[in-house]
Amino acid sequence: MLTTRRRSVILSGLSSGFAALLPTEATAKQIDRSRTLVIAIGSDPIGIDPAMNRAEPVGSEIIINIFDTLVVSVADNTPNVEGRLAQKWNVSPDGLHYRFTLVEGVLFHDGTPVDAQAVQFSIERTRRLNPFAQASFAKVLRIEVVDPITVDFHLSSPVPFFLSLLGQPQAAIVSPKAVLSHGEDFSQSPVGSGAFRFVQYTPEVGLILSCNTDYFRGRSALDTLVYRIITDASTRHMELERGEIDICQQNAQLSALSMSDIQSFSHNPDIKIVEKTSQILRQLEFNNMRSEGPISDIRVRRAITHAIDYNGLANHILAGTVERAYGPLPTVNWAFSPTVQALSPNYDPAYARILLNEAQWAAHKRTLSLITFEGSFWAAVATFIQANLAVIGIDVTIEQMEFPSLRARHVAGQFDLALDGREPWYNDPDAHITIGYLSTLANTAMTFRMPPNNRLDALIRNAQSEPREDVRKSLYAAIQDLILQQAPAAYLFTSKIIIFQRKEVEGLAVRSTPPLNEYWGVSKREPLR
Amino acid sequence: MIYFFLRRVMEAIPVLALVLLAVFSLTHLIPGDPAVMLLGPDATNLQIMTLRHDLHLDTPLYLQFSTYMLQLLHGDLGTSLRTGRPVADSLRLYLPATAELAVVALLFSLLIGLPLGILSARKPGGIIDRILQLYTLCGVSVPAFLLAFGLQIVFCSWLDWLPVAGRSSAFAPQALTSGFALSGALFHGNVSMLADLGSHIVLPALVLGTFIAATLARFLRNTMLEALSADYILTARAKGLRQTQILLSQAFPNAVGPAIMVLGVQFGDMLGGAILTETVFSWPGVGRYMFEAIRTRDYSAIQSTTLVFAIIFMIVSFGTDVITALIDPRLRNGRSS
Repeated sequence: MLTTRRRSVILSGLSSGFAALLPTEATAKQIDRSRTLVIAIGSDPIGIDPAMNRAEPVGSEIIINIFDTLVVSVADNTPNVEGRLAQKWNVSPDGLHYRFTLVEGVLFHDGTPVDAQAVQFSIERTRRLNPFAQASFAKVLRIEVVDPITVDFHLSSPVPFFLSLLGQPQAAIVSPKAVLSHGEDFSQSPVGSGAFRFVQYTPEVGLILSCNTDYFRGRSALDTLVYRIITDASTRHMELERGEIDICQQNAQLSALSMSDIQSFSHNPDIKIVEKTSQILRQLEFNNMRSEGPISDIRVRRAITHAIDYNGLANHILAGTVERAYGPLPTVNWAFSPTVQALSPNYDPAYARILLNEAQWAAHKRTLSLITFEGSFWAAVATFIQANLAVIGIDVTIEQMEFPSLRARHVAGQFDLALDGREPWYNDPDAHITIGYLSTLANTAMTFRMPPNNRLDALIRNAQSEPREDVRKSLYAAIQDLILQQAPAAYLFTSKIIIFQRKEVEGLAVRSTPPLNEYWGVSKREPLR
Repeated sequence: MIYFFLRRVMEAIPVLALVLLAVFSLTHLIPGDPAVMLLGPDATNLQIMTLRHDLHLDTPLYLQFSTYMLQLLHGDLGTSLRTGRPVADSLRLYLPATAELAVVALLFSLLIGLPLGILSARKPGGIIDRILQLYTLCGVSVPAFLLAFGLQIVFCSWLDWLPVAGRSSAFAPQALTSGFALSGALFHGNVSMLADLGSHIVLPALVLGTFIAATLARFLRNTMLEALSADYILTARAKGLRQTQILLSQAFPNAVGPAIMVLGVQFGDMLGGAILTETVFSWPGVGRYMFEAIRTRDYSAIQSTTLVFAIIFMIVSFGTDVITALIDPRLRNGRSS
C-alpha cells in the first residue's frame, strides 16, 4: 500500500511529465476574421519546396504563395509571360541565350537579398534534386551571374517554352541562406520572397501562412492564410455554408465536382462560384498501337467519334461544368487551330452506322472494353459513352480500376478504349503534344499509343525546338490536322476550374495552367451579421 | 500479479512477430506501386523508375524486410514513402487526437449504456426495455457515416449549435492544433480553448459512442438478467432490500465483468482509429493516416502503424483483464496463485 505522501509525489511527477506532452497554452490573441482567409483543400500537399514539387496541385499552389518566380504566364491564349522577380529579359534570336534583369531591392523572408546568385542557386538546386523537373531543365548548359541583378541562362538547344517553365512552381526562387542553414529541414520550413511567409504545417490538419509585410509588390490585405485539409466533400460543403471556410478548392488531380454542390450553391446568396476555362482535357482514347482487330480500322474509330453526343454530355450529364473539346489542344491554348473545329467529328449516329457497316465488323461481335479511373465522375462519363455506343450496336464493357492497375493496363496496351485525361503543368502546346503523340514515347507513359509515323514525329520534334513563335504556331496547326485525320481519340471536353468562395472574398486571381490560386490580392469585406 | 504481467509480455512477443510477418507480406501482395501512386497519371516510366530507385523499392523483398526489421530493433519505425517524414513523428501527431476522441466516446457510451442496460433489466419487456431494443438495433446497424451526416445536418446546419468538422476553429488562436489539445486545455484551465475544442469533439465522439453504448447496454441487460435470477438476489429480497439497492449493489457488480471485457475490446478498436468518422469530421487521427498509407502503398507506414496498433490492443486487453480481476475476487485469486 502506498502512503498518501508517496502517492502524491508520484501523482505530481506523473502530472508534470504529462504536462510536458501538452501543447503550450495558446496566447489569448484576438483573431480578426476579416483578415484571415481559410481555404479548404482535399489532401496534404506533397512537398512545399520547389525542389520537391512534382506539379501536384495543392503543393504547387502553396509554393506560389510563399515564393516568387522570375516570370509568370499571362493567360492560356498567349505564350507571353509577365515579369515578377525579373523586371525585363532578352532572348537571343537563336533562342539559346536568356538574360534576366531582376527587380532591385527584393528581400527573402529571412532578410537576405533576391539576387542573381540566388536565381542561379535555386534553378540549379531544382535541376539537381527534382526528378520531375530534370527533363525540363536538361538543356540548360549553365547559369551565369553577370552582376547582382543580372543573370544569364545558356541553353544547348532552343526550348521555346523556357519562359513558361520558369514560371512554374519548380522554378521558384528560394533563399540560399535558408537552404544552407536548414539543410534537409528546408522542405518543412520553406523560405521564399513571396506574399506570404510560412508559419506552420501540421500534416493531415493544415497549414498556416502569414502576411509578408515587406512584400515588394505591396503587402496583402490579409494577415493570415489558413489551409484546412478536409477530405470529405460534403463536410467541405457544410463548412463553406457556415462560413467556417472562405474558399473551397477543387484542385486535386483527377477529382471532379459533385453536380449537386454546384446546383445548391448557385441558389445560395452567400456563396460565389468562380468559373474559368482550363486546359484540362478529357478524351476517349483508342488503343492506336493495335495492328489488328476493329480498333485498328479507322472507319470503326471514326464511327465511334460520330456516335458520341458531345453537347449532351457537356450540358446535361456534366451540367455545364465542362466545355466541348475539338482536338488534341484545348480551345483556350494559344496554338489551337480554328480549322480543327470544322474538322472535328459531330454527333451523327446515322453516319456512324454507315461507317460501321463499311468496316464490315460483324454485328454479333461488336464488343469493346473500356478502362477508366475510379469515381462517380468517370463512371458517369463512361456509362454515357456506353449508352451512345449501344445505339450504334457496340456493346461496351466498363472497367473502373485503382490507379496503379489502370496505369499498368494502359501502358501495356491491354484495352480497346480508355477514358483518360491530360492536365498540362505548363502553358504550352508541347505539354499536350509531345508526351501524348510522339511515337517513340508511346509505351513510356499513359499516352495515345501512336504507331510510328515519320511525318508526325518530325513535325512534333520541329515544333518542340523552333524558336520563332509564328512558325511554331503553323507547325502545331499542321500537327493538329494530321492527328485528327487519324482519329486517335474522341476528344470529349475540357473541365472548367470551379472555385466556391464566400461572397465577402474579393480579388482572387486564378491561374489556369496549372490551376493555381494567388491570394496576394485577396481581401475580405466585413461579413454582415 | 508480477508473474501474470511478465507472462503476458512474453506471450506478446511471438504474436507481434507474426503480426509483422503477416502485414509485411500482405502489404507487398496488394497490387500497385508506391512510386506510381506518388507520381500521378502524367508520369513517364523513366520518372517512375528513378523514384523507385530513390525509395529503394528496386531491392529484393527479403532485403527490404531485413532492413526494416533491423530498423525496428533499433527502435526506428521507418520513414514514410509518401511524406518523407519518420512514421514515429506522424504517430505522435495523430495518436493523441484518436486517443482523446476514444476516451470521450467511451465516456459517452458509459453515460448512455450503463443506465440503459440496468434500467431495462429492471423490467424486461417494459417501456425502457423496448426503447433499448430499438436503440440497440439502430445503434448497431446504422452506418457511422450516415449517423455522422444526420447529426451534422441537425446540430450544425439546422440548429447551428456545434461546428461541422475539425478539431478547432480555423479562426481561433489554437487553429490547426495537434497532440493532446483537449487534455492540455483542461490542464491549463483555458476556458475559451476548452469550449472551442470541446464543441468540436462532441459530434464525432457521439457517433463512435452510440455504437459502443448500444453494444454495452445490450450486453449489460443480459448479464443483469442472469444475475437477477440468481439465488443471492432472492436472499437479498428476503432480507427486505429495496429494488434500487438490489440492482446496484447486488446484481450490478456481478453482471459488469463481461461488459467490461466487451468495452475493452471496443476501446482498443477505437484507438486504432475510425476511418469513416475521422474522414467525415476531418479528425486528424491515426485512422485517416492509416487509410492514406494503404491507399498510396506507403509500406513502412502501414507496417509500423499496424505494429503499434497491435501493441496498443494488447495493452488495453491487459488493462481490462486487470480491471475485471480487481472487481471479481475469484478471478484475482485464481490468476495470481
